[in-house]
Amino acid sequence: MPSATRKKPSAPATQARSKPKVRKTKFQADLAPSEDQMVRHLKAELEMTSNSDFLTDALTLYRWAVAERKRGHRIVSESTTGERKVLLFPRLERVAPEVTLPHVDIRWTDKELGSLAELVSVQPAEPTEALIRAMRR
Amino acid sequence: MAVTIRRLEEFDEVAGFDCGDEPLNSYLKRHAWTNQQKVSIGVTYVAVDESAPHAVLGYFTLATSSVPRERFPKKFVRGLPPYDLPLILLARLAVDRRFSGRGLGHALISEALTITMRVADEVGCRCIVTDAYPDKTGWYSRYGFIPIEGAAASGAQKMFLDVRTIRRALSSESSPAEREQAGEQGTSS
Repeated sequence: MPSATRKKPSAPATQARSKPKVRKTKFQADLAPSEDQMVRHLKAELEMTSNSDFLTDALTLYRWAVAERKRGHRIVSESTTGERKVLLFPRLERVAPEVTLPHVDIRWTDKELGSLAELVSVQPAEPTEALIRAMRR
Repeated sequence: MAVTIRRLEEFDEVAGFDCGDEPLNSYLKRHAWTNQQKVSIGVTYVAVDESAPHAVLGYFTLATSSVPRERFPKKFVRGLPPYDLPLILLARLAVDRRFSGRGLGHALISEALTITMRVADEVGCRCIVTDAYPDKTGWYSRYGFIPIEGAAASGAQKMFLDVRTIRRALSSESSPAEREQAGEQGTSS
């Protein structure tokens, strides 16, 4: 009777020795003295010694925050007494969906609807200088 | 002055806001928060200065809307896509008069249009529409808003800006007429 278990063929010696190398990217940042001090302080507070670990943790936290705001969730801190603060971080607000805008009805006259239909049917107007400036912030 | 524009918060200081127009003042003080958080019929964004992060210097309110296709006059329907027309309503925009002339109106409309584009990219919308006071139509025209003819004799002028025009503005290279000033303040109701 054949055996139910099969022996795995042993890997060639070279394959077993050399794991595929993960290429790491070097990350370098120019920090202002105050930011550098902040990093050192945070690392000490978090009992971290490695900059890489610090960056990895910060990245995890940032990625989480971005994911939460992308889902439209607000990031709130709550004190022991129940006082709440909402995190408002301009860069995060850029990823927050605005699809939560409510829907309202507008009153239109028939003539306005005709005019609106005409406007959406034709080629769009060229942007004005002020509009270009407004969108180039 | 380092201005940030963000959503209205519950404890923002709105009591002292004065744009010189009572309905716009009153909306911010009495209805904006309720409309945003409780009944969800409009989201208000406020401009605040870093030095006093809860004192509102200016605001605008946005909502989405749509026009059912069957409501358009028959002669135009054939040229339109076979769907309702989704749009953004810029319901209000005002700047406290103590801070007028500092580019807040421009910053507010700029943010309103940026949000419009985000909505257009995420869920689709065809245009932004506002009800402008007659004396503010010139200000909106500078940004490319076009008057929609046929308003009832109520005083407000509906104005239209195509999302495709805003998209073109986004992809525009530097403009020779940047020196042109866009004006500072606009209000709509």
